[in-house]
Amino acid sequence: MSPGIDLQASFVQALTDLGLPTGAAKAIWIPLPMVLMVAAVTVLALVATWMERKISAAAQQRIGPEYMGPFGMMVPAADVLKLLFKENVSPAKTDPWLFALAPLLVFIPIFLSYLIVPFGQRIVITDLSVGVFLWISLSSIAPIGLLMAGYSSNNKYSLLGGLRAAAQSISYEIPLALSVLAIAMMSNSLSTIDIVEQQSGYGILSWNVWRQPVGFIIFWIAALAEAERLPFDLPEAEEELVAGYQTEYGAVKFMMLYAGSYANLVLSALMVAVLYLGGWESPIPVGMLADLLGVSETTPWLQLITGSLGIIMTLFKAYLMLFLAVLLRWTVPRVRIDQLLDLGWKFLLPISLVNLLLTAGLKLAFPFAFGG
Amino acid sequence: MLKFLKQVGDYTKEAVQAAKYIGQGLAVTFDHMQRRPITVQYPYEKLIPSERFRGRIHFEFDKCISCEVCVRVCPINLPVVDWEFNKETKKKKLNHYSIDFGVCIFCGNCVEYCPTNCLSMTEEYELASYDRHELNYDNVALGRLPYSVMNSDPMVMPLRELAYLPKGVMDPHDLPADARRAGKLPEELLEEMESLKAK
Amino acid sequence: MTLADGVQIVSFVVLAVMMIGAALGVVLLNNIVYSAFLLALVFISISGMYILLNASFVAAAQVLIYVGAVNVLILFGIMLVNKRQAFVPVRNAWISKATTAAVCVGLFALLSTMVLATPWSVSTAIPIGDTALVEIGKHFFSDYLLPFELASVLLLMALIGAVVLARRDYLPDELLAQEEMRKTALTLPERPRELISGSRK
Repeated sequence: MSPGIDLQASFVQALTDLGLPTGAAKAIWIPLPMVLMVAAVTVLALVATWMERKISAAAQQRIGPEYMGPFGMMVPAADVLKLLFKENVSPAKTDPWLFALAPLLVFIPIFLSYLIVPFGQRIVITDLSVGVFLWISLSSIAPIGLLMAGYSSNNKYSLLGGLRAAAQSISYEIPLALSVLAIAMMSNSLSTIDIVEQQSGYGILSWNVWRQPVGFIIFWIAALAEAERLPFDLPEAEEELVAGYQTEYGAVKFMMLYAGSYANLVLSALMVAVLYLGGWESPIPVGMLADLLGVSETTPWLQLITGSLGIIMTLFKAYLMLFLAVLLRWTVPRVRIDQLLDLGWKFLLPISLVNLLLTAGLKLAFPFAFGG
Repeated sequence: MLKFLKQVGDYTKEAVQAAKYIGQGLAVTFDHMQRRPITVQYPYEKLIPSERFRGRIHFEFDKCISCEVCVRVCPINLPVVDWEFNKETKKKKLNHYSIDFGVCIFCGNCVEYCPTNCLSMTEEYELASYDRHELNYDNVALGRLPYSVMNSDPMVMPLRELAYLPKGVMDPHDLPADARRAGKLPEELLEEMESLKAK
Repeated sequence: MTLADGVQIVSFVVLAVMMIGAALGVVLLNNIVYSAFLLALVFISISGMYILLNASFVAAAQVLIYVGAVNVLILFGIMLVNKRQAFVPVRNAWISKATTAAVCVGLFALLSTMVLATPWSVSTAIPIGDTALVEIGKHFFSDYLLPFELASVLLLMALIGAVVLARRDYLPDELLAQEEMRKTALTLPERPRELISGSRK
């Protein structure tokens, strides 16, 4: 397996060719991926809102956004513009500091977690050795932001929503972490790059979803609960709590909470793609096709195709999961809080523990298939 | 031990069943995605109001005999009939007539009881205005030709309601103009009844 | 001094100031909710310190356990306790404050003399960095097995304690009697819950 395109090296090389010292070229490179990633994540979240609208409309035999741009694609942009220009109201008797800080505390960890999402062999911001663990630990900060939003709004619905959000994300973090642990055990690493590489080789057949079907389902249920998607959207259940912890928010602060929740959903879908659906790998490996056609793996155009196909594949898988989430949203009714906790503690937790045990046993029994 | 195992087995069965039901539900939702939208794209498409639709009331000034029956049968005595007695002809002469559609409940009693049929229901329903006083229609406004969805605006595509579609058709789009609706038409029913009576 | 060194020193100063400031806020602020939130900031600064020490796994674990679990539970505790009562002003409150201050200053002095007096042997070993995860695992299952297992037993005890406290069967009788009194005519009779599987043949 060739490493593929190294964007950093080529960029630094191009700048040094122009006469810049190598250190300066590297310093110029450092902020680029981050800025690119923030922009890309925003676009991904906006696309997710558009997809949510369109798929919901289709599921309810409506048309959905239609007249703003082709197929209503400019609706998210219009939303952003509207929210940017709205007056930044903070209601009476709120706690101004905490009220302003809470959306940031929800928003930043989610955007930070995108650091570890790989779109290709080298198309990742940082290949950390703690990769997936960083995501889990960062996503555990979000409940503090939600509690802060709920407390500072000086509104009983907000407080209830914040408490529910925190209870929910604490209880579903455990099955989530345990199913990730099973994956980490199979690939002997927490790094997202290693996890994807361990799934490569036989195309669609080598993906983790076949080796971890139970873990896949547990992970997706827990990820939906973490992202507060509909079967588990108690924290913002509009019939009971107006909008939960978002009730008192408006304008840019609301936009941050909203973008944060969608970015979180996209992130969960991307993590499913990376952990279970082979990340950037195509169903039929490109390397195998190249071998068949007799093209060398180091050919520039092949590398370009592999790189862009990797990005497309990752996003395609992620949005497929997103589609499933929206479909699920209009299929299952919202659970009650006791059913939610019951499902988390009495169903998902034991099953994920059994799954972990089984994985360990299989790894010892069949080291060739389950990562020796 | 056996009871415990049985409980675990039952629990698993229930979980599998729940998963199966959720899968069936997902299939239903997915099936809905490929159906044509049932929504009407309102300003560009409009539903043709049904027979006996109770829309804006039409009033014919010349037919009115100022009997005020409409006022009496109205639940809130809404129509305003302004007349004066003409001593020469010994008849009432109608000066003004008005109905405030901001208050009217479109029950149709006035139309039902009008002895000279000068009141009638139209199929006009787009009465929105910026000022509620504009809804107080005088005899001139009441006498205007009502707006009809059919053939009045080339931008508007009239759509038939569900009950007026041919048998088995669910989609009002791309329907031939002479497509017959399901069941017998009122005039056919009448004909049938009369032929029965003649026998 | 290279760019990396400069970044390291600046981040250390920022983290240290943030940590001390937040810790002072935890102790000195009157609003207990602010204290709880600032505690999260202290934990995050500590995790930043770990990152500076090349211990990324420990840093992530710090965030997950202390910020994500402990701090959220503290906040939960604060927000679910619905007790509003005005503090009764204690006479001669300054005595306790002065004692606290004296103890704190004394401890601080003791520790700083200890820090200054000890001849620290700075290890020259290269930090293992990314392989720390494997090393920690090995230690847990070899020489630190007993503390590791004891910690889990401790957690189990806490868990069982919480279950016992939360279960209503163990409520004292007088509380139960009150509960009975509170049932009004408006309470709907509820069918006792039973396992579906247990009843069916």
